[in-house]
Amino acid sequence: MLDQEFVRELNSVSKVIDDLDYYQILKLDQMAFDEDIKRAYFEESRVYHPDKYYNEPAEIQDKINKIFKRVCEAYKVLSDQEKRALYTKLVTGPDRKKHLRFDLRLLKAETEKKEDEGQNPLAKKYYKMAKTAFQNKDFKAAKINLQLAIKIEPSNQTFQDKLKEVDDILNAKRAYKPPRP
Amino acid sequence: MGRAVGIDLGTSTSCVACVIDGKPQALPGPDQRLIQASVVSFMPDGSRVVGNAGKLMMIENAENTVYSAKRLIGRKFFSAEVKKAQAVSSFKIVEGPNQSVRIRILERDYSVPEISAMVLMEMKKIAEAALGEEVDKAVITVPAFFNDGQRQATKDAGTIAGLNVLRIINEPTAAALAYGFGKDLSQKIAVYDFGGGTFDISVMEIGTDVFEVISTAGDTYLGGDDFDDRLIDYFAERFMREHDVDIRTDRKALQRLKNAAENAKMELSEKLEVEINIPGIMESMSGPMDMKYTLNRNYFGQMILDLIQRTFKVCDEALQNGKLTSEDIGALILVGGPTKSPIIQDAVKNYFFKEPQANIDPELVVAIGAAIQASTLTERKAGALLLDVTPMSLGIATAGGLMDTLIERNTPIPTESARIFTTTHDSQTAVRIKIYQGEEKMYEKNELLGEFRLADIPAAPKGEPKIEVTFEIDANGIVNVTAKDKDTGQAQSVQLTVSGGLSKEEIEKLKKEHGAEGEEVATFKPSAELPE
Repeated sequence: MLDQEFVRELNSVSKVIDDLDYYQILKLDQMAFDEDIKRAYFEESRVYHPDKYYNEPAEIQDKINKIFKRVCEAYKVLSDQEKRALYTKLVTGPDRKKHLRFDLRLLKAETEKKEDEGQNPLAKKYYKMAKTAFQNKDFKAAKINLQLAIKIEPSNQTFQDKLKEVDDILNAKRAYKPPRP
Repeated sequence: MGRAVGIDLGTSTSCVACVIDGKPQALPGPDQRLIQASVVSFMPDGSRVVGNAGKLMMIENAENTVYSAKRLIGRKFFSAEVKKAQAVSSFKIVEGPNQSVRIRILERDYSVPEISAMVLMEMKKIAEAALGEEVDKAVITVPAFFNDGQRQATKDAGTIAGLNVLRIINEPTAAALAYGFGKDLSQKIAVYDFGGGTFDISVMEIGTDVFEVISTAGDTYLGGDDFDDRLIDYFAERFMREHDVDIRTDRKALQRLKNAAENAKMELSEKLEVEINIPGIMESMSGPMDMKYTLNRNYFGQMILDLIQRTFKVCDEALQNGKLTSEDIGALILVGGPTKSPIIQDAVKNYFFKEPQANIDPELVVAIGAAIQASTLTERKAGALLLDVTPMSLGIATAGGLMDTLIERNTPIPTESARIFTTTHDSQTAVRIKIYQGEEKMYEKNELLGEFRLADIPAAPKGEPKIEVTFEIDANGIVNVTAKDKDTGQAQSVQLTVSGGLSKEEIEKLKKEHGAEGEEVATFKPSAELPE
């Protein structure tokens, strides 16, 4: 049988978990070291791991599951430098409530913002033209402009990545055969 | 209530284990062997011979003997793996409903989970005979790199076999549990799991009571069976150069060569040179032709070098994703029959700069770990907590062709992620969403898991309904989809079609059918109150 006090705690935690941020879930402060994060994940797992409640009634298991899923999520985000930095920034900002749970799309948007648009003015110009072409779905033109930009700045990773993306799309298009009318 | 066991349902062999008086041990079959072939042979009289006895029927009953069903489980009929199996298998593979795979035996079509269920029933029978009591619960293992469909199909096989599937756990994780449970270790380990049909690598951190998977990677198209195929091709081509006939066109001859190649492979683990000798493998105008060749270990090593190299590419990936190098690894554990080969052992040693752990039987360790987990789950004992991860990213298709990733690979499970969907035209009552697993940017290049349909959406102007869909990956690594109306909180109906899978009704029907078939004569209990 489960301890009555634990059942009460379980009820209250499962009720408030939607209002907690990842640091609160793992009972950490924002300055926590990486080792602390792992230790906290293990500690919370010792309490909330579903295997420990395998034979309990469904109602208990549902609450345990709900909490443990959030523990896993908190660990996944906080144990990754890049995700943790962005998450901490968002959750301490004015829109805290909206950002309690991490959204992978925001990370993608952030990385796109950080892109290296080139040092050389001509490379910059070609890259800009490639991006416009990309937006207009003129992938062939995008490819040509990217190739020109790479000729000037061969070590630019953003250019390379974008070219790979364009190539992927072009290859996919080539592989697609429209049905005959 | 019956006992709970651990079952390693392998591509070429399976093993069942149980914790008896606190000690986990593998259980012997009718032939006293701890490892049974994952083979089902259907007899003309309607009976079935399963396991090592079934394997003995592979030549004389080739067309009605199914092996390596795990290579097909959870796969779609049009996948490359199924096409390949179709070309080399002695049994007939046909297309079933909903892009599924069916195996046609004696004019009856069987789904792949049914075949796997027959192997599981045999393991259940073995355990019941060894334990002397009923077995009705099991932890079943799968390759870490199995996707949702393959896991679901394995779980279905367990249900059809009449087992309550306590949990589906990953083979490398089970092996780590068998290695480290009760040892008070604190180290990072690598589990190199080379099975008959799949390869997995898991990097883990293990402690006294917590076993954490840091990262995992794998290749479900690579296994020891591929070594056999190389040998078959090698011998067949040599034979063709001499006699100008292709053995591979004759099913029976091919099956004999397959057996000989498998034996040669295993013998090369012990010896430096082996001979294969198949008298009268084929008939020619001038009488029967014999096949007699020798092969040495070095040459065999060269033949499979690229396959072994492929596993190290996967190892690189797992270490990189875990932000580790091979120097961080404290212990190396080898799993799977093929790792008994000195060729693989040497290569793995060189890659990790480390001797593998001795005293671990690579063919039993997975079942033993599963048995430990089964006993932890059923006996309310303090066990080790497994913190596993999902091997691949989960996402949905977007209009632009890109995959919108919801859950990244190596995320600890169970986990969930939600998205809000709406309608694109007025009074739309249904929305279709396709789910994929994989790492490619374009969704088309990833594996389609299935499609779900949000139905019965109340009629409203476009963009107004807000339906929150939650994608969950549970502790078994299986994907569940639920939906609710964001404004009213009302549950929204979700119809999920898993590509190539069985429906709930089909599973129940098959369970009844095979359960009845497997039932022996009802046990007669003499009553104490017999009339005098």
